[in-house]
Amino acid sequence: MADTTQEDAVFRPKPSLPPPPNTVGVIGWLRKNLFGGPFDTILTLLGGALIAYVAYSLYEYAIANAVWEADTYRGCLDHVLPNGEKVGHEGACWAGVATWFDSYIYGRYPDTERWRVNLGAIVLAVWLAPFWFPKVKAKILVGMSAVLTFPFLAAHLFLGGEPGLFLQAMVAIALTAFATVWLNVLASYMGYQSLRVALLRLSGFENKGDHLHKYVLLAACAVGFVIAFIYQSTWTLESVPTLNWGGLFLTLVISGIGISSALPSGIILALGRRSKMPVIRVFCTAFIELFRSVPLITILFMAVTMMPLFLPEAINPDKLVLVIVAVCIFAAAYMAEIVRGGLQAINKGQYEAAQAMGLSYWKMMTLIIMPQALKLMIPNIVGSFIGLLKDTTLVSIIGLYDILLMAKASGQDSKWLGMHTEPFLFTAAMFFVICFCMSKYSQHLERTIGGGYGRR
Amino acid sequence: MSLETHDSEQEHIASAISDEVVIELNKVNKWYGEFHVLKDIDLTVYKGERIVICGPSGSGKSTLIRCINRLEEHQQGDILVNGVTMDTNLKNIDAIRRDVGMVFQSFNLFPHLTVLENCTLAPIWVKNTPKAEAEQVAMQLLERVKIPEQASKYPGQLSGGQQQRVAIARSLAMNPTIMLFDEPTSALDPEMISEVLDVMVGLAESGMTMLVVTHEMGFAKRVADRVIFMDQGEIVEQNTPDEFFTNPKSDRTKLFLSQILAH
Repeated sequence: MADTTQEDAVFRPKPSLPPPPNTVGVIGWLRKNLFGGPFDTILTLLGGALIAYVAYSLYEYAIANAVWEADTYRGCLDHVLPNGEKVGHEGACWAGVATWFDSYIYGRYPDTERWRVNLGAIVLAVWLAPFWFPKVKAKILVGMSAVLTFPFLAAHLFLGGEPGLFLQAMVAIALTAFATVWLNVLASYMGYQSLRVALLRLSGFENKGDHLHKYVLLAACAVGFVIAFIYQSTWTLESVPTLNWGGLFLTLVISGIGISSALPSGIILALGRRSKMPVIRVFCTAFIELFRSVPLITILFMAVTMMPLFLPEAINPDKLVLVIVAVCIFAAAYMAEIVRGGLQAINKGQYEAAQAMGLSYWKMMTLIIMPQALKLMIPNIVGSFIGLLKDTTLVSIIGLYDILLMAKASGQDSKWLGMHTEPFLFTAAMFFVICFCMSKYSQHLERTIGGGYGRR
Repeated sequence: MSLETHDSEQEHIASAISDEVVIELNKVNKWYGEFHVLKDIDLTVYKGERIVICGPSGSGKSTLIRCINRLEEHQQGDILVNGVTMDTNLKNIDAIRRDVGMVFQSFNLFPHLTVLENCTLAPIWVKNTPKAEAEQVAMQLLERVKIPEQASKYPGQLSGGQQQRVAIARSLAMNPTIMLFDEPTSALDPEMISEVLDVMVGLAESGMTMLVVTHEMGFAKRVADRVIFMDQGEIVEQNTPDEFFTNPKSDRTKLFLSQILAH
């Protein structure tokens, strides 16, 4: 410390310097991490050899010796290369997977009606697309309208036959909601702030006073509903009973409904378990503990065999409906505990600050606590969804032909007897792709809206 | 430290006490399980009065002010705020909470909302104020606490002193008649304490009824109309700051003052 005179009394901190540059790039990394010493080098070589061996075996099985075209499994096994080598035995029979591909995806849904399944998927994708459009406000409404009304539209589309009046009305509402979402997008991009503003402006009612606005909007809704109702009543769709639904289509239907109902019901159960009111608390705790302590397979069996005994004669629900209810209950019980964990992680001070401001219980939960709790729990929530998707393969045990049972069944067909490995590999790959996408989306959510250390 | 940093030369600010009773506590008793934390508390607060409550930790001073807005429930006795009795009736509690603002030691800002959204949340959702009006009021308050440029930032991006000032602005957004402060500067580092205390002095000068739990004796000397000393759940002594600091009556108070004024 030098002597300080009067002039040096002013504090001038040293300038900030950049950190020292890294040592020598790729070669340096390799030298340090893979070939650091004699032991490391031996490990690297052994590891490399193992990887190379496995990779080459996989390549041989899946690509080099694989059979891409054949009519039967026997044909696959007897496949002969141009040079006379018989390789069928050592290669994958992708021909079988190709032949059965449509069944893996659609199950036993009639060939001519498969366009309905495709249409349903496309409609859902298009419905949810506005989530990614920045100009669209009120994205929550897009999601909610899809979750609440699309199931009815999909049910009618996939089932066909003669829908009752209730289903027809709900389908009309769903069509109106879908049209509203996209008209809103159109309005947003055409310069109006939203469909509501566009309607009011175009009908000339914008400046005529707030109390008149709701009549204009109601009228628009009513007109839309009537048009949609008339439109859907012109549809004639061939009836396809749920018995014939199968494959990836069935898996996605069951887990899709399970996933979309798990979060809301889990939230309600979690709040109920933390409630001060004893009846609600006891009921929610009992519900959660009961359905968490029992394997999903037993819940499915109970639902399919015992529920019809308890229900009155008049109600004869479809097996698929019972299965979906069972899966939803199971998913809700698990989700409740995840949400409860998130609620417990919130600082008590947040509750106090909200209460001190005079916010009611539900406003406090919706505006302050739930947004923070759910964002903290994103990894757990999406993890639960991924688990649910895979758990739905259990329905194969009660005879619903989901993708796993179709895979098994393809190996028991007379022409393809004995082909077991390839369908399972395909199913595994299918699940991997879907689950990996969900996992990636979870990471994206954590980065953008995550409530953990990212924000702090 | 508190005595030297805020000059004792500064005048005590003008008193604005009216005759109207805003808070009344009659024989209030509270237990945490078996532990008797508030013993026979009698307190009357007039409109415009500024009260500083001090005492050792565990004396019940935070519990006392938290009972006033029902963050804690009292088991015995009456509490009246602006004439409304505090009981289990939710309507009464809501009415009281709308009139009473609270500032916490750990700020308790909502981390997922911007500073402006923090301040407009209560007016919009509790009082149904239109958004534009709520934002206008919020900006005025942020200017009053001298951080209007931080309006679109998130609490995590602000320093402690700034966060506490936002917390004060947030409580003021509901236009309360009474403000409660629970050790507002205890979690701040020394350089930030004065910026928050300046805001509180400004608030006092505008005539707000304030109950402040704090260890900042300089603030008490400058602002308080009454200083209350609590120990073991009881009010040991209450007096004007002049009398309290120069002529403490009880031995316990003398011991406390000798410790706190020693640095």
